[in-house]
Amino acid sequence: MSGEAVIVGAEIAAGHDGSAELVLRLRYPNGGEGVIVLEAEKGLELMAVCGAAHLEELAGQSWRRLLEGTCST
Amino acid sequence: MFDVIVRNGLVVDGSGEAGFKGDVAVLDGKIAAVGAVNGAAKREIDAQGRVVAPGFIDPHTHFDVQLLWDGAARPALEHGVTCIVPGNCSLSLAPLRASDRSKVVGMFQQIEEMPPEAFTQAFEWSWEDFAGYRDAIAKQLSINVAPLVGHSVIRLWVMGEAAQQRTATPEEVAAMQEVLRECLRAGAIGMSTSFVDLDEHGRPVPSRFADFAELDALTAVLGEFGRMLQCVPEFYDVDITIARIDQLSELSLKHRVPTTFSPVFDNTSTPDNAPRILARVEEQFARGARVWPQMQTRPIDISFSLLRPSLFFARLPRWVRVLRQPLEQRLAALRDPETVAKMVEDLGPDGGRRMMGGLIVRGGDAAPAEWVGRTLGDLAAERGEPPALALINLSLEHGLDVAFLAADMGHEVTDRVGPMLAHPLVHIGASDGGAHIASFSTYGDTGYLFSEFVRKGAHLSLEQAVRKITADTADIWGLKDRGRLRPGLAADIVIFDLETIDRAEERPVFDMPGEGMRYVRDARGVQAVLVNGELAYADGAYTDARSGVVCV
Repeated sequence: MSGEAVIVGAEIAAGHDGSAELVLRLRYPNGGEGVIVLEAEKGLELMAVCGAAHLEELAGQSWRRLLEGTCST
Repeated sequence: MFDVIVRNGLVVDGSGEAGFKGDVAVLDGKIAAVGAVNGAAKREIDAQGRVVAPGFIDPHTHFDVQLLWDGAARPALEHGVTCIVPGNCSLSLAPLRASDRSKVVGMFQQIEEMPPEAFTQAFEWSWEDFAGYRDAIAKQLSINVAPLVGHSVIRLWVMGEAAQQRTATPEEVAAMQEVLRECLRAGAIGMSTSFVDLDEHGRPVPSRFADFAELDALTAVLGEFGRMLQCVPEFYDVDITIARIDQLSELSLKHRVPTTFSPVFDNTSTPDNAPRILARVEEQFARGARVWPQMQTRPIDISFSLLRPSLFFARLPRWVRVLRQPLEQRLAALRDPETVAKMVEDLGPDGGRRMMGGLIVRGGDAAPAEWVGRTLGDLAAERGEPPALALINLSLEHGLDVAFLAADMGHEVTDRVGPMLAHPLVHIGASDGGAHIASFSTYGDTGYLFSEFVRKGAHLSLEQAVRKITADTADIWGLKDRGRLRPGLAADIVIFDLETIDRAEERPVFDMPGEGMRYVRDARGVQAVLVNGELAYADGAYTDARSGVVCV
């Protein structure tokens, strides 16, 4: 947990191009929160990497889990 | 003798002032008189009970290719749009060497979703420089065009392959400056750039390899001409977007140019984003910067098919697992009764009626025409299946190539969006007309402005709404000859019924080259559209008028 942003919320939202996107709320070590948006493939990949069957199960996961996916950049 | 007199309409002249009953006379393509007009005309149009307004201006489109065979940018013109700005998001069709065409075609196909035939059969590609493109489209225009030149193609012209590999040298930047000057002299209304877009291989477009020094140098050239810098910031991250607002503001102040960025849209899952963006815009305008946020009027829909996994199913893990498999295994799983039974069971006792029943079957794919526009719930009832099972079976019966639409999933809360659209610093635009053509319709946003935010929500008065998409837009972009019903200005006029103006339901058409498909929305409530004084659209039909011009 220390030193890393943690996912504290996840929702599906409509993207500009008509696709469904994953909106993640992150909490940073200093207590600040921010929102980022992932497109479909990366969002689904994050869920798979985290073993999350439901969006709610992303909460508490380290933001670094995204980098474990096959299409991480 | 006037050429045209539009009589007895409610004249809403674009200034924002209260409309008044009167006439508008046209002579030699210009507005000759406004008010109580005496005298005769070759053609009189009765506008009793209708609004007479300046033609609408759409500042964010991708009609660059379509204009080469469709000078009306259909269906934009029938919605009352008399001037469009193509060349957004760093991409234009000039300047472009013949040897680089295939690269840019790929980028356009990624954004516009045009079929390949659009680039190989529909027109003769005879130009390389911006003046050549201007002349190619000018031959048959029914609509006015104020084209941007794309940063990515300028880069490609100067740097070749390296445009998508590295930053530019000082010599290359100087060469780009000269190319931009030439484009602005040839009629470009500004330059577009993007920090987001990808080519067909998933690589960043050339503009994304530019450093700030390059953007600064090119904006300096825009400053010489007082022209617009259009930008697509990293809109998926509000903090980066705000940083880009600051960057654009510095460029605006330093070089005395207007800048605009898009898209800005509202989502209830990120309710602070748009207000934060607008707050930063207010701060920068207070400093003297011109950094216009473009906001679309229409809600955002989500569309998907079972051909590729969608986050629409994110709350259904079994569905995600099945749909993420390679096609062959996916089809096998969807044909396996045991798997399907469990998938349907996952939707709960209503079989998916609540989550999926309202999905609308789209057309243009493998779906039979008679399904188009119907809800999955209706089709499921007809088939005697739960909606979740019907979704799977309907898809399987057509090779999974059946698209479904979940309507109004973003930017959809009228009482949130309406006040933002009414904000004096919000630039109504971002229609993306001519882009994403096979995914959703990007036409009719102006009709939706009146139906949803004037008539229904009353967030804007008629006069405010007209001003937003006419005089305000003309002023922001420096289109001195347009946007108002004022003697001496170009006679771009739309006559519409305030009680019925709207966008029609989305429908697929196969009017792209090679019988390519796109989604469109027809206009409702628009009686007539005049472009530079000539009747270009009337009573539901386009005329033969070719009075559009390339304008700056």
